[in-house]
Amino acid sequence: MLLLYVLIAEWLFFYFAGTTVNRRGVTVGFGTLDRQFDILRHSCEIGLLALALTPVIITAGIDLSVGSLLGLCAILFGKFWHDGGLPIPIAATLALGCGALGGALNAALITALRLPPLIVTLGTYSLFRGLAEAITRGSVTYTNFPEGFLFIGQERWLGLPAQAWLFFAVAIGVWVLVHRMTFGRSFRAIGFSPEGARYAGLPVDRHIALAYILAGLIAALAAIIYTARLGQAKADAGTGYELFAITAVVLGGTSIFGGRGSVTGTLLGVAAIAVLKSGLASLPVVMRMNAAEEMSGVLTGALLLLALTAGVLPRLWSQRRARHAAVPKTLPTS
Amino acid sequence: MKSLLRTFLAAALTLSVASGAFAAAASSKLVVAFLPKSKGNAYFISCKAGAEKAAKELGVELLFDGPTDSNAAKQNEIVENWITLGVDVIAVAAENKEGISTALRKAQRAGIKVVTYDADAMPDARSFFVNQATPEGIGHALMDDAARLLNGEGDFAMIVATLTAANQREWQKHIEARLKEKYPKMKLVAVRPCDDLKDKAQSEATAMMSANPNLKLIMAICSPGVPGAAEAVKQAGKTGKVKVIGLGLPNENRRYVHEGVTDTVILWNTGDLGYLTIHAGVALAKGDLKPGAKSFKAGSLGSFAVQGDNILLGKPFAFNKGNIDQFNF
Amino acid sequence: MSRYFRELSVVGALAVALIAMAVFAPAFFQPQPLLSLATREAPTLVVACGMALVIICRQIDISVGSMFSVVSVCTGILAARGWPLLLVLPIAAGLGAALGALNGALVAGLRLPSIVVTLATMVALRQGLNLVRQGEFVNMPDTVQWFGLPQATGQWVLVICALALLAALGLGLRHLAAGRFVYAVGTDAEAARLAGIRPQLVTFGVFVFIGALTGLAAMMNIVQSPQVQPLSGMGLELKVIAAVVVGGVAISGGRGNLWGAFAGLLLLACVAPALTHLRIEAYWEKAIQGAIILLAVVADGLRERRQA
Repeated sequence: MLLLYVLIAEWLFFYFAGTTVNRRGVTVGFGTLDRQFDILRHSCEIGLLALALTPVIITAGIDLSVGSLLGLCAILFGKFWHDGGLPIPIAATLALGCGALGGALNAALITALRLPPLIVTLGTYSLFRGLAEAITRGSVTYTNFPEGFLFIGQERWLGLPAQAWLFFAVAIGVWVLVHRMTFGRSFRAIGFSPEGARYAGLPVDRHIALAYILAGLIAALAAIIYTARLGQAKADAGTGYELFAITAVVLGGTSIFGGRGSVTGTLLGVAAIAVLKSGLASLPVVMRMNAAEEMSGVLTGALLLLALTAGVLPRLWSQRRARHAAVPKTLPTS
Repeated sequence: MKSLLRTFLAAALTLSVASGAFAAAASSKLVVAFLPKSKGNAYFISCKAGAEKAAKELGVELLFDGPTDSNAAKQNEIVENWITLGVDVIAVAAENKEGISTALRKAQRAGIKVVTYDADAMPDARSFFVNQATPEGIGHALMDDAARLLNGEGDFAMIVATLTAANQREWQKHIEARLKEKYPKMKLVAVRPCDDLKDKAQSEATAMMSANPNLKLIMAICSPGVPGAAEAVKQAGKTGKVKVIGLGLPNENRRYVHEGVTDTVILWNTGDLGYLTIHAGVALAKGDLKPGAKSFKAGSLGSFAVQGDNILLGKPFAFNKGNIDQFNF
Repeated sequence: MSRYFRELSVVGALAVALIAMAVFAPAFFQPQPLLSLATREAPTLVVACGMALVIICRQIDISVGSMFSVVSVCTGILAARGWPLLLVLPIAAGLGAALGALNGALVAGLRLPSIVVTLATMVALRQGLNLVRQGEFVNMPDTVQWFGLPQATGQWVLVICALALLAALGLGLRHLAAGRFVYAVGTDAEAARLAGIRPQLVTFGVFVFIGALTGLAAMMNIVQSPQVQPLSGMGLELKVIAAVVVGGVAISGGRGNLWGAFAGLLLLACVAPALTHLRIEAYWEKAIQGAIILLAVVADGLRERRQA
């Protein structure tokens, strides 16, 4: 809830500080509707990855490979369409399948062999990006996609950027999965205690596998949207996105130790980061320092630490109070 | 909870009022936005120096921002931010031709003048391209220089930035074409990426030399790669036996050129490139530069030839022992 | 035998790789290039030692690459201003330790998850450095390179320093009480606490330690070249984590040792030069490194399953 306040404060601040009237008398900057739509468009891919990671992190897992998988799926999508001569919808479906397959590889290693997710996905992080580079030999870039496809990434539909609808659909889907289905409950149970969940009769492995496969699938969808937004598929697509996505999820209050978390929190986290980044870029002070990008990095890091600290301090205090309170009571009896 | 909300609202209001102090008064100056491929790169920092000089002379406000790593998606986001900021001119070094063009077309539709420099976008997405040297010119200059040093015979290797950088692929293509066409006795034995890291370039160059005992020359086509390769050659004690050439800045290579490790560093005057770009952009916005112009006069640098929609900076320049001390960038 | 099976299998894999190189690309074994390779990897080894400690303690630190860059640039500037290296060296270690202490305080003091804390400091430090330096190289006087010694001597000094540090830490971890504490905390923090160890203090200690080692490594890196690039150290965290894990240190804490991490680092460090020697195209490098990491953890998983 605190994050919602932070987000509103942040937004108001930039609305007043980052909006100006230019020489021609036109209102420009953060307060314009165009900018708000841009923020939405630019955060769709990272937002999708953050949604993909939310169930994974709730099960006390992590997936570092989503950014690389995005790159691999973008390349495969381009290859199916351009080299394979397949129509866009079929190429996209195949790419989604490949994303699910990549997620399944993670899932298989994590569940069947009981390997730590951090290390498995660190390996696939290199592997997927490496495959994308190997397939294109680094050089091939797929471009000249048809207008109808680029529409998804660049135009508006029913008043909003077209990809935002896809993003919202996925957000609702993941929200239902996590908060309105037994799956979500079992994700949390697994995150709290996998052993306990197993004794309670939950198919732990199957549910963990589902979380990773879903993450792969959503990463592939993000790849398609990314390709449509830029009009190109290249092996470096999505480099470093996993870190922003993880930041957004954790900022949104999902515990990295698992067991706790919410989809709305993740959405707020994505919004907080995107607004910060875009807002800083429209502050005259920051613009004069040529430092929007760096400053948003520093502030995002600080914000993350702040959010975490704010989250644990009450618990630490109450623990301390409990300990102090316990001392006098025990004294007389001893 | 209620008190928290009240405190919060009070804080937000104070913030909003305070933020008025941050907001600039409407600027009466023309605003030119200058986008590099990656802003930490010394190459673009030296371009920026020239751009700042031009901005001061012309009395315009200069915005300089870019990705901290070469990242096509971030370039688009920055351009789109600038569109909503209502800048007057956008000057872009495109990381990826097709990728950036969608954003630039949008800028043009919003009435913003667009020029490109260093690396071009699609022709319909900008008015002019300030052309420092064609990829063909760069490729030929490098390959010819390599051939001159080796007398047209022997093994050489290349260090590139990353395997995915578009301009690197373009240069490499022209280098290989020139090699095939003119120097049949020379052989390209290895191409390795250094991720724009000097330390990695050094490790790669070391491995290349031990793997290819007949290696005569290393050509590095990204600016951190040249000093990296030179350091490797120096440490291997092969100064003079393995020659180093490449695309780079005088300041980063000066000591190696003086020590005789690096023979030639090829580059154009990057400061002039920035200077010319800003002049062209401003002239375009003021209506002084129109499509079809045959020449263009840029402040203290004098007149430049315009070929079609390309403003030509001139030929790449070769820095060597004799002249490198005359340049400081 | 079976106790060190995991470490021995890495050494075995390394041996197989080296024998393969001897057969297919004997040119790999030349003293000078190998010494250069060893010198280039010496700083990485120092950081890997620290990372092994952190992971044995069931934590992780992904901010080492950014810390490395920050310390490199700061000490590079001091050295360029003519400060004596003997003074700069402790400053480097101290600055690293201070940055590590920040991570440590957040992880041990506030009990925050280390992966998130160090993710935040990684981004903040990297971007902060970009903000201040804008990517500019630091040029240093010639006397800094190799501590002013002749090149070969300087290279040997660095390699021997790194190996000595490895030996000291490896033995200390095995035989000193403080070393055993790290294993105890990594295996079961609560049990360690009941046994009279202060787990938070140990955790704080390993973070300070990896910070100091990273500072030292940065120093070992800047004396190798007359220029410091602010990007140096980019991606270092993944490199050392991969080396440590391939070397048999369990990410779940409490298991592994520095010798294994050393072997893992050697194995991974050989990939890039080996590809050059075998004339395999560079496009495959990342995929191969990923495959090695996966292979190592799959082997771990299969073995544990058989035992269970």
